[in-house]
Amino acid sequence: MSRVKVFFNSSVNSKIVASLAGLGLTGFAIFHMLGNLQVFEGSDAINGYASILRDMPILLWTARMGLLIVAGLHIGLVIRLALRNRQGRPVAYAVRRYRAASVASRTMVLTGSLLLFFIIFHLLHLTAGLIDASAPDGLDIQGRVDVYGKIIHAFRNPLYVGIYFVGQLALGLHLSHAISSGLQTLGIEHAALNRLFKLAGSGIALFVVLGNLSIIFAVFLGLIRA
Amino acid sequence: MIILDSNIPPGPLEMKWDRRRFSGKLVSPANKRRIKIIVVGTGLAGASAASTLGQLGYQVECFCFHDSPRRAHSIAAQGGINAAKNYQDDGDSVARLFYDTIKGGDFRSREASVYRLAQISTQIIDQCVALGVPFAREYGGQLANRSFGGVQVSRTFYCRGQTGQQLLLGAYSALCWQIERGQVTMRPRTEMLDVIVADGHARGIVVRDLVSGRLSAHTAHAVVLATGGYSNVYYLSTNASGCNVTATYRAWKQGAAFANPSFTQIHPTAIPPAGDHQAKLTLMSESLRNDGRLWVPVSPSDRRSPNAIPPSERDYFLERRYPRFGNLVPRDVASRAVKAICDEGRGVGPGGQGVYLDFSDVIRQQGIEVVRERYGNLFEMYQRITGENAYEVPMRIYPAPHYTMGGLWVDYNLMSTIPGLFVVGEANFADHGANRLGASSLMQGLADGYFILPYTIGHYLATVDSPPIAEDHGAARAALERVEARIKKLLQGKGRRRTAASFHRTLGKILWDHCGMSRCAAGLRAALEAIPPLREEFWQNVVVPGSGDMFNQELEYAGRVADFLEFAELMCHDALHREESCGAHFREEYQTEDGEPRRDDERFAYVAAWEYREGEAPVLHKEPLNFEFVQPTTRSYQ
Amino acid sequence: MLVAGRKRRGGYRRIVKLTLRIWRQRGPNERGGLVTYQVDDISPDMSFLEMLDALNQQLIMAGEEPVAFEHDCREGICGSCSLVIDGVPHGPDRGVTTCQLYMRRFADGKTITIEPWRARAFPIVKDLVVDRRALDRIMQAGGYISVNTGGAVDGNTLLIGKEEAETAMDAASCIGCGACVAACKNASAMLFVAAKVAHLATLPQGKPERTRRVMAMVQAMDREGFGSCGNQYECEAVCPKNISVRFIALLNREYLRAGILGTKMPAQSDPPHGESY
Repeated sequence: MSRVKVFFNSSVNSKIVASLAGLGLTGFAIFHMLGNLQVFEGSDAINGYASILRDMPILLWTARMGLLIVAGLHIGLVIRLALRNRQGRPVAYAVRRYRAASVASRTMVLTGSLLLFFIIFHLLHLTAGLIDASAPDGLDIQGRVDVYGKIIHAFRNPLYVGIYFVGQLALGLHLSHAISSGLQTLGIEHAALNRLFKLAGSGIALFVVLGNLSIIFAVFLGLIRA
Repeated sequence: MIILDSNIPPGPLEMKWDRRRFSGKLVSPANKRRIKIIVVGTGLAGASAASTLGQLGYQVECFCFHDSPRRAHSIAAQGGINAAKNYQDDGDSVARLFYDTIKGGDFRSREASVYRLAQISTQIIDQCVALGVPFAREYGGQLANRSFGGVQVSRTFYCRGQTGQQLLLGAYSALCWQIERGQVTMRPRTEMLDVIVADGHARGIVVRDLVSGRLSAHTAHAVVLATGGYSNVYYLSTNASGCNVTATYRAWKQGAAFANPSFTQIHPTAIPPAGDHQAKLTLMSESLRNDGRLWVPVSPSDRRSPNAIPPSERDYFLERRYPRFGNLVPRDVASRAVKAICDEGRGVGPGGQGVYLDFSDVIRQQGIEVVRERYGNLFEMYQRITGENAYEVPMRIYPAPHYTMGGLWVDYNLMSTIPGLFVVGEANFADHGANRLGASSLMQGLADGYFILPYTIGHYLATVDSPPIAEDHGAARAALERVEARIKKLLQGKGRRRTAASFHRTLGKILWDHCGMSRCAAGLRAALEAIPPLREEFWQNVVVPGSGDMFNQELEYAGRVADFLEFAELMCHDALHREESCGAHFREEYQTEDGEPRRDDERFAYVAAWEYREGEAPVLHKEPLNFEFVQPTTRSYQ
Repeated sequence: MLVAGRKRRGGYRRIVKLTLRIWRQRGPNERGGLVTYQVDDISPDMSFLEMLDALNQQLIMAGEEPVAFEHDCREGICGSCSLVIDGVPHGPDRGVTTCQLYMRRFADGKTITIEPWRARAFPIVKDLVVDRRALDRIMQAGGYISVNTGGAVDGNTLLIGKEEAETAMDAASCIGCGACVAACKNASAMLFVAAKVAHLATLPQGKPERTRRVMAMVQAMDREGFGSCGNQYECEAVCPKNISVRFIALLNREYLRAGILGTKMPAQSDPPHGESY
């Protein structure tokens, strides 16, 4: 145990592990978005996709547990680092002007916290179905869980669209700093490729957020209907 | 009673250092652990000495007044460090470096010491490489060299424009290692204010903790001073604002002879002072004179902008006076010429302190790009400081004091006339004679600290066997009382009408006018008359706010100015007595008809070592300089 | 914006009036606060520190305590000066130290706020002077190559490519002022540590100790109470020597490498063979 403690007492180790976990979560976010894009192919595609996942409970639950652990590690470590960082400067400057720090980088704690609340909300809302009592709970014609119907129902409601929109903004901002920052923390830099690495952060963030928002607004604007 | 014994080993020049190392007694490793050495100062000489002594097993206590040992002023040296490596195969050798240095010093330095310096120079480079100093390299991976300071061989090693910094960081890192090992105890933010001498030997120092203001005595088996030079006696110099004479001056008052105090080097190409507010002068590379032309308007009343003055109304004074060398005459010659022009009232810029250094011809002939490539960073620095674009209007330059060849007298073993008090680096007088060559100061500092002192101090420690005195020993208490009384006096100025800086400025002006680039008996006598009343007024009227038992920068400064006010007199005495012109010391009475310096080897081929006498004029002792191996010749540039 | 006049030959002397808000604090454990001062008579050719000198001369003559601030070489190399000017360490110019900042940079009538470096690891000594010994202690933990004086091989025995040498020099140009810490949201010293680690890890001389060095220096950095790096790169933006944050990536790499490769097999103790030779 003391070895683990010693390991994580090092700020650089903590950051490396937090970065690895964060990049893992980013991978999940990409995968999640791509999977959900099947909604554009109609109810059969997305319901089928969902049912394939549900038909492999061991894989599904292992993945879910894994995600939980990775997310827990990431959150735990960054909270610990953030608390330590806050102690780094007990007296604040009276005047402070930033030169290089992006808005995203300065709001990581805020966007991260928002993201956490959003994910909990999202899990309760669409995965567990505990938030919206009026949501359809049925099966589709083939007897699979009607994910398509749930999505359509949810995003017709401007309240949920609003909440998800804010969630996606937080996700986008968080990722736009997190990805390139994670690469730097892992020591991945290269004279010729550094600009690419920097762009990769905002690029991937934009990709995920646009993908997710496209579903939400396609439903909201009636481009996809039941 | 001071007896100067230079302790030079007998035998052929090349063998002297080997002989000394062999004949020196050694301290056994077990005894080293019990021996404590105090090192004051952490510049090149101090840091290298402290780290090497720690490595040898001595208990070292190291002091500096900065917040960190890495900030010593060695850090500001830009050009490079000389070594007789002959990597370029251009005919360099130990003998040639030796000869260049002794000739550059205008035959006022000790042959044996200079030869040893040239011998050790090659080891310094190897040592610094091993410590990780990132010297410039060629594409093939070998060390790069450049030629520097007008010598005909390329023997200067460099780290961009930061050679001093990188060499110091090398020594600092070695020091860090010894601190980590527990061999060196580092005491930053402590200023040495006196030497403790007991039974004729230096046995410790009195320091002031600059944060708490607490005074304390520290005792040891030997004391090493590496406290740098005193160019700041002129108020305006290229030295850091903290540089001062206090440590060496207090040692002088305790019996260490001070050698050649008037040998101060003045660099021709500094950025001129912009006004009374000026706190320091910034040096520009001498290489600017390769392409720039120095001139002033012919008429002193000409107030037109420089570009509006036609060539016929410009006086290219160096080209006029020295047609053969033109703008490339050596430092001291150029500096004197500039000062003479300004004294005639023909200087340009604020206060008439400055001459033009004009690049318009070379820009016209070779294009602005060539100039930008060669001097871009210097032009940028110039613009940052003055706000002027030197591509469009001529630069203005003015000479500035930047190095002091004089210092505490030391023998071949770097020991002063107080046994047990060793002096290294710019703080001692050795090696540079009356004039220092470019890229030689770094070499000397590191030679002293890494390679010479650690040997020679061992011999002293092995032969003098006495335990350190207690910190409440009578001599320590007396030294503490001296320091206390002085601080008390500083805080008691009655009239309270002037700040220490204001006195310092006045003193600087006196010295600059009368004991600067060119000196004459009448001027020096005037200075000697002006200084005592100024000092008196200082003690009457100086305003020092706050108290002694707190962090008090003004008190530190006032103490240093007080010492400058006394030391300046010693400089003038030395300059007055030396009735010849040699190196940086130019006496107007002793020049040829063409205005060239006239050295007098018959009467003045000696080191002037001054002894302090309380309430009397300083007493002169002479260490004759015998030139067995080289023949003194005359420098000429016309 | 009205910028104080550029100097020209002849009538260049423009006087500037300024309001200064300066952090005053008598000692480490005392309460501090911003105090407002008026200075006039400021020439645009003054350096920022000369302007403070002028203020201090006024204060001394008025029987007040001058403002304590650190300075020495006044040419941007010793790393002593350390002022946060209007929220930016070393002030509005890039790639320079406070001492290289000139008053012509400031508009007439402006208010300037001057604060010390702020970090838990840099306790205030007085006013604008802070204690930066934490940086020295990091260096003592491993910022060196353990070689004895004497016996070094010829400098040319070690061939070091020009590019490696230049990279090492880029990193080594750190002057240890601590602006990186002052600028960092987390008061992290990563750029400082990275510069030294990169300097020595790039050169062959530094390789034998690279594992121990990076571990020890990071450990010392954490121990001193600096925060961790948030990769915001404020440090690089205020560094007077423009040291690149790429060296931080290099430090992370070195650290990872040390973590993976550095775990040694337990050292086998020599078989006991007494004191016989």
